[in-house]
Amino acid sequence: MKIERTILYVVAISISLFFIYPFWWMVMGVMRSTEALMTAPLRLWPEQWSFKVFSDIGSIGGLPLWRYGLNSLFITIASTILAIAVTALGAYAIVRSKGSVLFETLRYAFLVSIMYPYMLLVIPVYIVMYQLGLLGSYTGIILFLALGPIQFFLFEQFFRTIPADVIEAAMIDGASEWTILWRIVMPMAAPVVATATVITFLLNWAQWFPVMVISRSPDTFTLPVALLNLNGELGVNVQGIMALAVLTTLPTTLVFLAAQKRVMSGMADGAVKG
Amino acid sequence: MQAHLAITPQQRLTFLAYVAPFAVLTLLFGLWPIVLSVKVSLTASASALKPDAVFVGLANYRAVFADPLFLDSLKRTLIYTILAVILNVGFALGYALLLNSPMIDKGKTFFKIAIFLPVVTPDLAGYVVWRFLYDRSFGAINALASALDLPLFGGLSSPNTVTLALLIAELWRHAGFYVIIFLANLALCDKALVEAASLDGANRWQILRHVIIPQLRPAILINSIYALIQFLKTFTVIVVMTKGGPADLTNFVSYYAYQLFDQGRYGEATAMGSVLFACVLSAALAAYALGNRRPQ
Repeated sequence: MKIERTILYVVAISISLFFIYPFWWMVMGVMRSTEALMTAPLRLWPEQWSFKVFSDIGSIGGLPLWRYGLNSLFITIASTILAIAVTALGAYAIVRSKGSVLFETLRYAFLVSIMYPYMLLVIPVYIVMYQLGLLGSYTGIILFLALGPIQFFLFEQFFRTIPADVIEAAMIDGASEWTILWRIVMPMAAPVVATATVITFLLNWAQWFPVMVISRSPDTFTLPVALLNLNGELGVNVQGIMALAVLTTLPTTLVFLAAQKRVMSGMADGAVKG
Repeated sequence: MQAHLAITPQQRLTFLAYVAPFAVLTLLFGLWPIVLSVKVSLTASASALKPDAVFVGLANYRAVFADPLFLDSLKRTLIYTILAVILNVGFALGYALLLNSPMIDKGKTFFKIAIFLPVVTPDLAGYVVWRFLYDRSFGAINALASALDLPLFGGLSSPNTVTLALLIAELWRHAGFYVIIFLANLALCDKALVEAASLDGANRWQILRHVIIPQLRPAILINSIYALIQFLKTFTVIVVMTKGGPADLTNFVSYYAYQLFDQGRYGEATAMGSVLFACVLSAALAAYALGNRRPQ
C-alpha cells in the first residue's frame, strides 16, 4: 500500500513537472541572455536577476511594446463584456422560447458556425469586414470575438435549470419580462456570469488569428500577434521572444490562479453540452 | 425550465429583442462568412473577390481532389488526428483515474492546476517555448539527452520525429482539458456500485473494466468528439513550429489551404475549407451516433 502510494505520487509529480517545465524555461529566458540560453539551456537558475530585456525590446514593428499590451487589454475586456451581455440575453431568450422553430434554427445556425475551422475563414471574414467597413478597426475585432461556444453552453445549461414555477409565480404577481429578467433570473445567474466572464477573458486574450486578419496595420495588434511577428523575424532573439511570451502569458496565469476552481469547473460544465 | 410556459405575442416580441444582438452576430460573423466561403469555392480564383465573379461549378473541388499534395495532406491530417485523439483521451483517462485514486489525498489541487495551466495559456506563447525546447543545437531536450548519453532527438527538423514532437507539444497544451472533464465525471460515478463489486470479490482491474469505465462512457465520447474537432483543425502549432515541414510532412489541410490563400488561389483554398468542414461535421455526427447506439 505504502509503495503503491509512493509510486502514484512519483508519477503525478513527474507529470506535473513536465507540464510546468516550459513555463519555468520561459521565465528564466527573460533574465538570461540569448547566448547563455543557447550554451546552457538546462541551467535552472538565471546568471543574474535582471529584467532589462523589457526596456531593450522597446518597440516591435514600429510600435512601442506598451501599445500592444494596451490593445490586448482593451480588445479582451471589451469583447468579453460584449460577449457576456449578448450571449446571456440570447441564450435566455432561446431557452424561454423552447419549441419555437425560429429560435431553434438560430441555435443550430450558431452550433454549425462554431464548428467551421475558423482559420479557413480568412478571406470570407476579410470580405465581410470590408463590406461592413470594419476592416482595421477595433470594433470589427471586438464584434468578431464576441461569439464563443463555451459561454453559450454555460448560460444555456444554467437557464434550463431555473424552475418554470419561479417564473410563473412572478408572472402571476404581474411582473413584466424585464422585471423577471433583472430581479429574478440575473441575480440567480450571478455565479454563471462570473464563471463565463473569466473563461471568456482567458480565451479572448489568447486569440491572434482573427486579430491579424481584421487588422490593417500593427495599430490594432495584440501581444500574441506581436509575439508571432517577433518569432518570425530573422536572427533569433530568444531572450526577447521569451520576454514577450511572458507578457502574453502572465495575465492569463494570474487570472487562472485567482479563479482556478471556477475556471476548471466552468470549462468542464461548458464542454458537456446539454 | 422543464415545463413549458405558454408564450404571449407580447413576450414573443420581448424575446426577439433579447435574442436580436446574438442573432445579428451569428448571422454576420458566423454564417455569412461560411456562405461566402462556399460561394468562393464555386468561383474562379482570379475573379473570386470581384463583384462579377465567374462561377465554375465544382471545378475547384475536382482540382483539389486531383492534387496529389492535397490528398497526401488530407491523409496525414486524418492519421495525425487519430493519433492525437487516442493519445490525448487515453492519457487523460489514465491520469484522471490516477488523480482520482483515494491514495492521492494531498496535493490534488496542485496536480490539477499544473496540468490545466497550459490549457488557459495562449497557444502561441506555449508553442514558441516548445519550438526552442526542441531546437537541435541549443534546445533543452537535446542538452538533456547528451548529458545522459542518450541518442539525440531529431525534434522538428527530422521527418522521423516531427510527428511525435508535435503530438507531445499538443498533448502538453490540450490534455488538461480532457483530464478535468474526466475528473468531473469520475466525481459523479456511483460509489455504491464500486463497493458492491469489491464486496463481491472483484479485483481492482475488474472494477475498473466493468464498473468505472462503463460509467465514464459519455465522458469518453464527449472528450473524443472535442479532440476530433480540435485536432482536425490543427493550425497554430504548425504556424509556430514547422510551417508544414519537413518535406510537407506536417502540411495539414488547414495550413495547406492557408498557404493557397496567400498565393491568391482562393477557389481551391475555400474548396479545401469545405472538405475539412465536412470532415469535422461528419466526425462529430458519427461519434455522436456511435455513442448513442451502444447499450449503456
